[in-house]
Amino acid sequence: MSKNLVELIRRHHAEGAPTALEVLKAAMDDHGAITDDDRRVAAERSGLPEAAVHGVSTFYDDLLQPRGRRHVRVCTGTACFAATGDAHVDAVREGLGLGLGERSADGETSLAETVCLGFCHSSPAVRVGDVIDAGPGVVERVLAGAEREAAEPDPVSLLAEPVLIAPGTWAGLRAALERNDPEATLEDVKAAEVRGRGGAGFPAGMKWQFARAATGEHKFIVANGDEGDPGSYIDKWLMERNPELLLEGMAIAGFVVGADHGFVLCRSEYPRSKPALEAAVARAREAGCLGQDILGSGFSFDVTIVEGAGSYVVGEETALLACLQGLRGTVSARPPFPAERGVHGMPTVVNNVETLCNVPFIAARGPQAYRDLSPGATPGSKLVCFNERFAKPGLYEVPFGMTMRELCEDVAGGLVDGHEIKALQIGGPLGGILPGAKLDTPFDFDALAAEGCMVGHGGIVAFDETTDMRELARHLLHFGASESCGKCFPCRIGLRRAHEMLAADAPVDRRRLEELLETLELGSLCAHGGGMPAPIRSLLAHWPDELGLVAA
Amino acid sequence: MTSVTINGRTVEVEPGTTILDAARAIGEWIPTLCFDERQDPFGACRVCMVGVEGAPAPLPACTTQVRDGMVVDTRDATARRVAGAVVELVLSELPEPPASHTELAAVARQLGVSGTRWPGTVHERDHDDRHPYLALRHELCISCGRCVRACDEVQGTFALTATGRGFDANVAAGLDQGFKDSACVSCGACADTCPTGAIAELSLLDLAPEPLHEVTT
Ligand SMILES: Cc1cc2nc3c(=O)[nH]c(=O)nc-3n(C[C@H](O)[C@H](O)[C@H](O)COP(=O)(O)O)c2cc1C
Ligand code: SF4
Ligand code: SF4
Ligand code: FES
Ligand code: FES
Repeated sequence: MSKNLVELIRRHHAEGAPTALEVLKAAMDDHGAITDDDRRVAAERSGLPEAAVHGVSTFYDDLLQPRGRRHVRVCTGTACFAATGDAHVDAVREGLGLGLGERSADGETSLAETVCLGFCHSSPAVRVGDVIDAGPGVVERVLAGAEREAAEPDPVSLLAEPVLIAPGTWAGLRAALERNDPEATLEDVKAAEVRGRGGAGFPAGMKWQFARAATGEHKFIVANGDEGDPGSYIDKWLMERNPELLLEGMAIAGFVVGADHGFVLCRSEYPRSKPALEAAVARAREAGCLGQDILGSGFSFDVTIVEGAGSYVVGEETALLACLQGLRGTVSARPPFPAERGVHGMPTVVNNVETLCNVPFIAARGPQAYRDLSPGATPGSKLVCFNERFAKPGLYEVPFGMTMRELCEDVAGGLVDGHEIKALQIGGPLGGILPGAKLDTPFDFDALAAEGCMVGHGGIVAFDETTDMRELARHLLHFGASESCGKCFPCRIGLRRAHEMLAADAPVDRRRLEELLETLELGSLCAHGGGMPAPIRSLLAHWPDELGLVAA
Repeated sequence: MTSVTINGRTVEVEPGTTILDAARAIGEWIPTLCFDERQDPFGACRVCMVGVEGAPAPLPACTTQVRDGMVVDTRDATARRVAGAVVELVLSELPEPPASHTELAAVARQLGVSGTRWPGTVHERDHDDRHPYLALRHELCISCGRCVRACDEVQGTFALTATGRGFDANVAAGLDQGFKDSACVSCGACADTCPTGAIAELSLLDLAPEPLHEVTT
């Protein structure tokens, strides 16, 4: 991230200027396409140079896909692929007579692809304007102009006493403020060994310690609500249905590291998230739990909600910070880490939404109670969610250490209509694929890593026996290539080549593919290019016959 | 001071020095494409990979700071394999081989990459000749970010930007009106740093591109 641009943004932000991305998003909402005049206005209002604004306007899906009066977005995420093999995408395309990314000549209708609307429990999903419809008959309803808001299942906790799905009460923040010893609260979070729920599993306490030790005029807490993993709707639920818990976790983080402001970056694919969070912020201010002199403690902390604009890689922490400041959502090399130089160049903690939601319990009840939530080595509980292929899809709070079989069969009821689990993708698109024969693997960081898989963010997507693994490889690499931020060369070009190899109507040279995967794994700047090979490696290991391989 | 051993030679450097700077200080060559010593390291091209004792995989030399006692092998076989594979990928996105005088051609030669085996999409030809002597040939751009950083960090003009995403990433001046109508002050810093000749001063474009050798790797 350019230091000079960040400094420009900091200065304009201090004067209340919007970010360039905010201005461009508003222009898109207003008239469905970005013009050079919009870019000039965005430059003027945000203080960013015109060229930089142009760069932003060519990066995000939401700014690139032209919108008609009726803007239809069809989900091409992995859960929807598992449900229909993309037949719903073809049906919408044919029914509207439009290609993805096209707008009808009369400006009436437009069609675009979107990657996961968070309705993976009811796939396939289609969004029209801000209405998300999903499930059987969705395509017919959308084509008839009769779409309706799909329902969302209520979450279930398997714990004796729910932690993450219990409504936030601010008891943890109260306890931390009464104790008035940030160092002691930090020690509790460290002792609780909260591992990051955003994918990398990094200890939250350690990250907070770095940020606490860093010096800066201001410090910031950023909640990563980008939840880009197709097949996940965990953070969606937390942000929309339990936003108090998240805000409380952020305030505790702010108290510990000495931050006075927080941001939640939520994704634009979830149109309900930003309004729900903003309403919760207003309630919290009203109750004295956010704002100046919180609960009479002298500690002040407030939160701003920012919405993304359609990019998977913006979930990566440095790209997230770029997006938050209105810049192109590309990844930056670390160092500097966000804990040293983040928002406006100041020390910043970036944590996943669910990670932060674990904190109030620890602050209220102490690290031992938190550790006791799971029987094994990994403390705490985890939200997992299942896709539409399961008989009882939905969001569940589970302890670590249950086997995948217990989760898939006992909790989620096995697959619908007697289908069999051919494979599971766990924890997002950068996680490996577990064959149905290995369901006795425990759901835990180390056990899944041993199978080339990961806990990741906790989405569990089942593929049944009808899924063609070459098609799945093509699907995943299409996602990988179109979401690559384009910063580093191995991913920018390599994922394109990998997709071309698997999408071609020709046998795949196994040795060349494996060489390419190695280049991606060892060369990529971030875990997008580095992780996309993981599911492909699983497919190579377990279903070589289906991939159409030839030995060179 | 921090002590680091590179290809068997131990040197003392300031804490915070990158492996690349330490290696260059003692005359050890590491291939680079997105690096320019006048700019902050960018970490995009990934051809500066080196082996580091104890590290499970090669590390990028331009963004990795030395640690005391670090042992670096710039010729590590895995690192060189990755660097060569990346350069081969880069050649595969260009519609024609880079001119032999360019930095990209030189790095390819030094890594023994004589061409590309990758079929597939290449960048579309798109020339911007609106400026009297700065020409932009979009299809030769490998998105190394050097021109954008030269304009931002060295010149302080902000006339250039990266554009697009993924394989379609490229660069543009201003609102893509070309250098002439952007904030460009015609200093030529971008052309000076561009490793492929995608941005070049017009006089240099007369050098016809020379193909690399036959494809053999
Ligand atoms: C390509 C990519 C996408 C990511 N997407 C997300 C995301 O959607 N949400 C998230 O919390 N973390 C995501 N991450 C991980 C973040 O970089 C970061 O590790 C995380 O937000 C830190 O929070 P945690 O330590 O609480 O997990 C992503 C990482 C990569 C490389
Ligand atoms: S690996 Fe891909 S997504 Fe990550 S920095 Fe490189 S190009 Fe961007
Ligand atoms: S124009 Fe040249 S310097 Fe600029 S990004 Fe492209 S290749 Fe790099
Ligand atoms: S709603 Fe389609 S993958 Fe999630
Ligand atoms: S020179 Fe190190 S990544 Fe480009």
